[in-house]
Amino acid sequence: METVESKIRDQINVHTLREQFPVLSREVHGKPLVYLDNAATAQRPLKVIEAMDDFYRRYNANVHRGVHQLSVEASEKFEQSRSAVARLLNATSEREIVFTRGTTEAVNLVANSFVRPKLKPGDEILITHMEHHSNIVPWQMLCEQTGAELKVAPINQRGELILEEFESLISDRTRIIGVVHVSNALGTVNPVGEICAMAKNHGVPVLVDGAQATPHEKVDVQALGCDFYCISAHKMYGPTGIGALWAREELLEAMPPWQGGGEMIQRVSFSGTTYNEIPHKFEAGTPNISGAIGFGAAVEFLEEVGIERIADHEMRLLDHATQAMSKVDGLTIIGQAEHKGPVVSFTLDGVHPNDIGTIIDHAGVALRTGHHCAMPVMEFFEVPATARISFAVYNLHSEIDVFLAGLEKARTMLA
Amino acid sequence: MALDKLYQQLVLDHNRAPRNFGSVAGATHSARGRDALCGDDILVELVVEGDRIVRAGFSGEACAITTASASMLTEWLIGRSVSEFEHAFEQFEQVLANPDEPPCPELGDINELSAVSAFPARVRNALLPWRTAVRALSSPEG
Repeated sequence: METVESKIRDQINVHTLREQFPVLSREVHGKPLVYLDNAATAQRPLKVIEAMDDFYRRYNANVHRGVHQLSVEASEKFEQSRSAVARLLNATSEREIVFTRGTTEAVNLVANSFVRPKLKPGDEILITHMEHHSNIVPWQMLCEQTGAELKVAPINQRGELILEEFESLISDRTRIIGVVHVSNALGTVNPVGEICAMAKNHGVPVLVDGAQATPHEKVDVQALGCDFYCISAHKMYGPTGIGALWAREELLEAMPPWQGGGEMIQRVSFSGTTYNEIPHKFEAGTPNISGAIGFGAAVEFLEEVGIERIADHEMRLLDHATQAMSKVDGLTIIGQAEHKGPVVSFTLDGVHPNDIGTIIDHAGVALRTGHHCAMPVMEFFEVPATARISFAVYNLHSEIDVFLAGLEKARTMLA
Repeated sequence: MALDKLYQQLVLDHNRAPRNFGSVAGATHSARGRDALCGDDILVELVVEGDRIVRAGFSGEACAITTASASMLTEWLIGRSVSEFEHAFEQFEQVLANPDEPPCPELGDINELSAVSAFPARVRNALLPWRTAVRALSSPEG
């Protein structure tokens, strides 16, 4: 049984852990699945699948509405998941956790509820060149509608933020800073703590896109010093269609609701409506209950395995892949930041990423090709697209060899 | 094996040495075809005299399937009428939509791209040069 060399004593037995992920035992085109598209979405462990299944089988009901037993049980589980997410991020209270459809919706919520009301023509929103489209487009839309200006902080050839230039772009017109914690396209881990400290000096609130961070490292929103933190469950072994916004309680209290409907109200009459308390004020309509329950189970999964052990395993996979790929002729790694998450974006001379994707799929390897929802990053590195491998806790070192063999086959076929 | 059919010799040959690659002097019609998701970006240029396409070429950067499809299409287009192209486009779409579709004699070598039908994610690549040519024909230069 393979247990790979580790710096920490209590290492993960990856083979045993893989048994918790049913999909990993399937074959693709007659080959064992090698799933290296974790930055797009991770696979789900039995714990998550069973938690959602259990809800539908045993206590499916609407939340916060009925006095009957099923509704009570569903509401309890739903709120337990909120507490789990609060624990995950080290929030001061579960009142600071708003369930959303994912990171994208969380960013849109902040853009529309927090930023829009205070935005005047000539005001500025500062983001970075390595943002995912979800942390670009909501701000662009807001700028178009209000006459505000979107400022973009530059990156260097390694794919790192140039901090001095970032700070010089913060002005007395900056109303919010949006920054990605871990870049999905480059793997870069940004110094979010430093950025928040800089922003605080200028009195500017900071929103962090944490979609790629929570699966790989301990996130402590209080230690980071940010104001908003946005995450998606499906990047961290949970279901799709559910995520969360964390915001400091006083900010949420002051923000107006952004969608109206049931659940977000306390009292409705035609002469006026009283809104519910936070976080419910921001959760109009029947929520994604099974999703939230699955999200809670995913947090428990991370806690049980231990985020330090996960990170340790993934960093060794990253080192192994980076070293092996550096020896491949004609291969260029896009994104060589000093501090990286387990993501390797690359191009291979003479072979278009799209063809790599198709050929390697027939070796059972799932990887991502294209612009990774970060077209400005592709433009910066002057590539039409890249291929990308990204690791999760269940990946094996031997899978890197399968990937490399597939890459060699692609080259032999096409070059 | 489906993969070998997709990347068969003819397709690989067109990818390695695309025909009619480069800009077309005196083009009367052109269009840029981009597929941002895949990273394909091509320019199709045509010289149309009356109802006939007398020269055709393409340039840009694209995957093997798009490149081979553009190479084969430009080869086929030269000397054909616009209405012949429109008819062929319909037949090519059929070929790509259904793996059991019999080869279409008019399309000649292009029939070899029928293997793409087994790769639904790649159909868009085979179609990109054709769709771009349609747009080129509907928007003359200058």
